[in-house]
Parts: sequence; C-alpha cells; structure tokens
Amino acid sequence: MSQPNSAHTPQLVTRDGDIIPDGWTLLADDDTTGADGPFILGFERALRELDSRNGHYGVRVLPADDIRLLEPFLEKITLIEVAFPGYRDGRGYSTARILREDLGFTGIVRAVGDVLRDQLFYMLRCGFDEFLVKDKDPSQAITSAAKRFQTVYQGAADTNRPAWALRHTQA
Amino acid sequence: MSATQSSAKMYKYDDFDHAFVRDRNIEFADQVARRLSGEITEDQFKPLRLMNGLYLQLHAYMLRIAVPYGVLSSKQMRKFAHIARTYDRDFGHFTTRQNLQFNWVKLAETPKILEELAQVEMHALQTSGNCIRNTTTDQFAGAARDEHSDPRPWAELIRQWSSNHPEFTFLPRKFKIAITGARKDRAAIRVHDIGLHAKPEGFDVYVGGGMGRTPSLGHCIRTGLAGEQLLSYLEACLRVYNRYGRRDNIYKARIKILVAALGPDEYKRQVEDEWARMDRAKVDAPVAEIERLKSYFPDPDFKVASFDRVAFERAQTADAAFARWIKNNTNPHKRDDHVSVTISLKPVGLPPGDASSAQMDVMADVADAFGYSELRVSHEQNIILPHVHKGDLYALYTQLDTVNLSTANVGKITDMIVCPGLDYCSLANARSIPLAQDISQRFEDAKLSDKIGDLQIKISGCINACGHHHVGHIGILGVDKQGIEFYQILLGGRADEKAALGVITGKGLPAEAVPAAIERVVRLYLELRTSDDERFIDTLERVGRETFAGALHEPA
Amino acid sequence: MKLLTANRLTDGLTLWYAGTPESGTQESGKPESGTLESGGWVEDAALASRLSDDDAEALLIAWKLRETDVVAPYLIPLTDTGTPVQREQVREFVRANGPTIGQTADAIASAHNRADIFEN
Repeated sequence: MSQPNSAHTPQLVTRDGDIIPDGWTLLADDDTTGADGPFILGFERALRELDSRNGHYGVRVLPADDIRLLEPFLEKITLIEVAFPGYRDGRGYSTARILREDLGFTGIVRAVGDVLRDQLFYMLRCGFDEFLVKDKDPSQAITSAAKRFQTVYQGAADTNRPAWALRHTQA
Repeated sequence: MSATQSSAKMYKYDDFDHAFVRDRNIEFADQVARRLSGEITEDQFKPLRLMNGLYLQLHAYMLRIAVPYGVLSSKQMRKFAHIARTYDRDFGHFTTRQNLQFNWVKLAETPKILEELAQVEMHALQTSGNCIRNTTTDQFAGAARDEHSDPRPWAELIRQWSSNHPEFTFLPRKFKIAITGARKDRAAIRVHDIGLHAKPEGFDVYVGGGMGRTPSLGHCIRTGLAGEQLLSYLEACLRVYNRYGRRDNIYKARIKILVAALGPDEYKRQVEDEWARMDRAKVDAPVAEIERLKSYFPDPDFKVASFDRVAFERAQTADAAFARWIKNNTNPHKRDDHVSVTISLKPVGLPPGDASSAQMDVMADVADAFGYSELRVSHEQNIILPHVHKGDLYALYTQLDTVNLSTANVGKITDMIVCPGLDYCSLANARSIPLAQDISQRFEDAKLSDKIGDLQIKISGCINACGHHHVGHIGILGVDKQGIEFYQILLGGRADEKAALGVITGKGLPAEAVPAAIERVVRLYLELRTSDDERFIDTLERVGRETFAGALHEPA
Repeated sequence: MKLLTANRLTDGLTLWYAGTPESGTQESGKPESGTLESGGWVEDAALASRLSDDDAEALLIAWKLRETDVVAPYLIPLTDTGTPVQREQVREFVRANGPTIGQTADAIASAHNRADIFEN
C-alpha cells in the first residue's frame, strides 16, 4: 500500500511547480523580536500594528477574518497566507478572489493548512500563487492541476477565459 | 424507431462541454484508482466521490446522475436503461431533485458508467457535496399554457456557471436553485436556497427558503433583475453565504439560517454591496451567449394533423381507464391540439419513482414515436412527455399500458412524493416506501382516489426532508423512537405559488396506524367540502387545521 | 455481544465478519494480508460471528486499517436475545435482510432460504 497523501510533509510549491524554501516566519502575537524582517503577523495584530509600522510584512488570514479590513495596509504587505484549517472550509477561496479582484492585491497569496492536490485547481483559479501542499510529488500535483481542465465556465482571478467568452471570440 | 423520430430540442454539448466532462471523468477515474490502491484514505476520498454523486448507502454504493433541470432525450433515457441492465439491478430511481439514482453500482465500475454517460452528454457532477446542485425547474417548461418565460435557457446558463465553480465548491452546505417561468409555480421556488421567477420584465429573486430541520419560505430580495446580470447577482448571493454561512453546525449551515440570522434586509444589503463592488463584466455571460442558449430551445416541429375529436371521445367512452388517464395525466399545452402527458411512476403497491430498464426503454420509444424524442423528470418523481398531439394519445396510452406505466393518478392521493427512506438511505430514521405502499393500497381498495381529487401526500424518512414533507397537503415525517419507527403527520403545507409550511399535529403514529388516520382525515374532508371542486387544501384552509388534526388522532 | 459489519471497498456490498476472534489477525492485532474471505468475511448476515465486546473492539481496530479491503466497518451491539439494541434495530434489520420494499420479511427470509436474521 502506498502512503496516504496527507502523511507527506508539506512542501512549498509555486504555481509554476517550483519547490521553494519558506523564508518567512510566523510570529506569535506576543513575540516582539522580529520587528522588520520576513515576518508574518496574525490578522488581529496586523490590524493593530501595521498603521504604525514601516517595512513589508506577511499576514496570516484565518477563514473568519474579513480580508477587506486589510485594505488600508496593503502596500505594507508582501505576503498573505490564507489558512485552510480543514479542506472542506471554503472561505479562503472567497478571501483570495476578493484580494485579487476587488482589492487589487499584487503580492503573494499563499495557501497553507489542509492543502491537498485535489484543491489546487480551484486555488489556482482564485488567485493563489504559492501552496504549502501535502503530497508525495507537489510539483507534479500543481502542474497537473493547472492543465486539468481545458474548459472553465466562469471568469475568476486567473487568466483562463470562460467558455462563453471563447465561444463568441471564435464565432 | 419511428418515422416521426427527431432529435429533442434541448441543449447540446459543444467541444467545450465535451472537454469539460471528459477532463472531469479522467480526474475522477484517477481518484478512484488512488482510493483502490490505498494512496488516499476513505476520509480523503469521501468528499471527492461525493462531488461525483457517489454515496455509500446501507447496502451498496449509490450513484446519482444529474438530469439538468429535468430535461432528457430519448437517447439519454435509453442509456439509463442500458446502465440499469449492465451495471445495476435492472432498475433506477427518479428523485425529487429531477435526477436519477442507481442503488447498486460498484465503485470499480463507476468510471465506466461515467464514460457511458458522457457519450450522451450526461454526468454525475455536483449531485452531492457542499456545492451548487442541479438547478430544477417546471417540468412543463416550454409547453405549459400558463408560461410567460421559458426557464430552460436560464437553467442552462446557471448549470454552466455553477460547473466546477472555483469559489463555491466548498460551501458551508449544499445549495439548490429552482426556476419557474409560469403563473403556477410547479418548481417550488420558495422552498429552495434561491428561487427564481423568470418574468418578461426580469427575475424575482427569493433567498433562504428550504425544508429540513428548520423549514422556511424564501424572501424576495430583488425584483426585475435583468437576465444579463443574473450570474453576477447569484455570485454575490453565494459569496456572502460562502463567507458568513455557519460552518460549526451542519444543521445550521444552510443559507436560510444565515438569512434568518441577519434578517433579509441586511442579507440583501450585503449582497448588493458585494454586487456593486464586483467586476460584473467578468462574471456575466454576454447577450450573445444568452441568445445562443435560447436558440437550443425552440418549439419542436409540431405535428400538423387534424385532430379527430369524435374518435378521441369515442375511445374515452369505450375505455373508461383511458378516459380516467386523460383526465388525470394530461396538462394543458400552449397549442390546442397538443397536451403534456405525465407518465406516473406511482403504480399502486410499488416503490414510487422507480422504473425498470424495460420501462425506461418503452418511455424512450414512446417519446420518439409521439413526443418529439423529449422527456422530463418532475420533482414529483414522474416522467413527462411535454408535447404530445392529441390524436396520438390513445396509441401512447396503449403502449404505456403494456409495461404498467398507465397509472392514472397524477396529482392524486396515491401520487406521493417519497424519499428512499431507511430501505436504502444511511441517513434515514424510518422507512418511507413501505408506508407509501400501504397508503396507496388502502385508497385504491377504497376506490376513493378520483373522488378525493387533488391531494398531495409527501413522505420523508428523516428530518432532512428529501420527501418534501413540509410542503405536502399531508406531510409525513418518519422518526425513530427507541428503535421503533413512528410517523409525525403535518397538515396544510403546499409548494405552489401560495407556498406554505405544514404544521405537525399531535403525537407520532406507528406505521400500521397511519393509513387509517389519513383515511379519517380524507373522509372528513369529503364531508366538509362545499363542492367537488373544493380541493383538500382549500377546505383545510377554510375550516382550519384543528378540525382535521382531531380526526387524525381520534379512532373512527 | 457484538457483530462486526462493513462494506466491501470495490462493490460496496454489505459484509459480515464470520471468523473467530483469532482468524485473520496476527499476534500484533493487525489483520494479515490475504483475501477478505480468508479473513473471515461473508455476505450472509446469518453467518456473522457473535463476538465478545473485547474481541469485537480489537477486530474493529484491526480492520479499520485495511482501507483497501473494507469501508466503514462498525460494530452492532446485540441484546441478550441476539437482536440489535433497540435504537438501531430497524436499520440493522434492513441492512441484514435487504430492502423491505414490496416484500415482507418472510419473503426475504425464504428467498435466502433461512429465517429472518433479526426479528423486527
């Protein structure tokens, strides 16, 4: 029997399938050591402190957090980690689309938590570009997810054009 | 098989649609292979198989196949017959969601079944799971005399938009949309998560209806919504739900709970706010696409033949059973020389909604011969031939009669909506089908069915309400009381344009007491009604539930 | 007293554990590799073994690991007279005897050439 997917150590992979090291550190809310390095702040802390900070930060967003509250601080944010505590919790997909399509965020949007290969297609479409994924072959998982469907039926945060657009371009 | 055979006027896949289903089937075959090899666990596989309509029930796997908005071609019906024969136990079950379920499929064979379905432009996607499910609609769409807008192109638009939607595949709970475009609401739009009423001036949008543990009627949050903006408005509705619907309790996760918690006005405000911020041009299909979809649903090439009224009436006089079938199983058509025919899948004493492969083949044959090759599934679990020339009715009836498909009980007390219940379903608390059989047998024996007229009994084997018990004129809910099946009776529900929820009356009854209790209620109605035209539900609303509740619980 | 039941992964059909507490398990408590049949599983509920609570729990844990053979194994607690405990009685009767639709329990039993599995 081969090993279940979720038993694999998570690895960080980009939308292009490159495995990359994670240069960021998630700060505990009471950890004051990291003032201006590649640090990720919790959502509440980011709301409290970003106004008075300079530099570039990461922010960890949980499913219930209202991403629009970060709007005033987006230029200080380089990375947003969207957490998926369980893979059936789909709030992170809305979070990512709002970030990309409504707030126009151009930094890195990363999916962390319970991320398995079967979700990657949806995440790519919603505007994620890095994935901390549990799989025996994360590169293969992401490249196969990217080309899994020739047809999509909706406009979303990626560059795929929906079937209705292609139908009427061709005609 | 017949000279009149033509292809059904319905949506046809283009290359994009074929590619989508093919890719999805490849993905699912891969998931099945990974499960069989042990690469993924059952916990990981379960949500994946559910996204493809594959359940593990009490006795075996069940595969639920989507019949988009209940529209079927004869070719597709024949494919169902073939699948029933080849991969199942020679029958299928039509559901209250206008879909088809096979109750005995093998996991290892499901990829092959899906390949067979793809050949006839069908699949099992999104028939389960917390996603947008098959949109349901009026079974007489495009044919009914009281229709002002054809809902089918819009249902197809929604079908495509909701297919593999990247944002709404992991919603708090399942999501069901229904559309009607007629004066009479035959799609029960106010007991759906979103109900749409297509009108010439645009859509009325109802949100937050539903049945289950907390039944409620949808609230109208928008009127006159332009068709070209339908998708972006739905997307805004779904986004608010996806973000704020409860996920901590499965019984409070449907949108009706969110709408009730926020209040319809606040929910609407949030939707409108989301809609205002949205790049709608990216979401809404262009007018050209809507016109393309509409072009798939023209009228069939209606048969031009003189209708011999005298012969038709003579046939009815000579054959009382045929006359009764005409009276009960036909619906007015927009053309005077046509009707819509309902083929009842509720023969007395047999499981409601089931059809054998032989019956499916005959339904496909008669659709080709007399019905422009088109069929529909109704949420009442019957099959409809939407367009039949009146001159063909006797020949149609005769052919249906050879395979026990001529039951003349549409809309009558024996035409019950019934979920599979504990005989198949692993969620159920009580059996539904044997009770339905007992009730129909009792009224058949008493020869009361026609005298009673329209009366809808709806039976669910658990609180999830797949049998729509909340909106039955008489609703029956199975509960488990310390290992014994009991049935609570509700009175006064209705799913039509005057939608109302039934109210539970008194204590639950054991199964053997239910048929007699219902007969007492019905006999009281026959005493109280002012004329044969006053239906059960009208009498009940006139005299009040309490009068009938008394009869339910008193021995005669 | 308990019964162990599950569904076969490949076709989903209901299975019943009919082995002894020892058969199909190694000393480690893990089922041996091998077929379901050699592991003690059958389709006829009438043959199911009545297991002591301890044996049943041990077998359940062991078979839960056999993900590629069975799905959703669980135990059915029995009363002293050998019928499922009340709360699940109807469900387990239907599971053991098949759908009751259009037929009586007697008909099902005679079709299987035996008495009802559980009284209902």
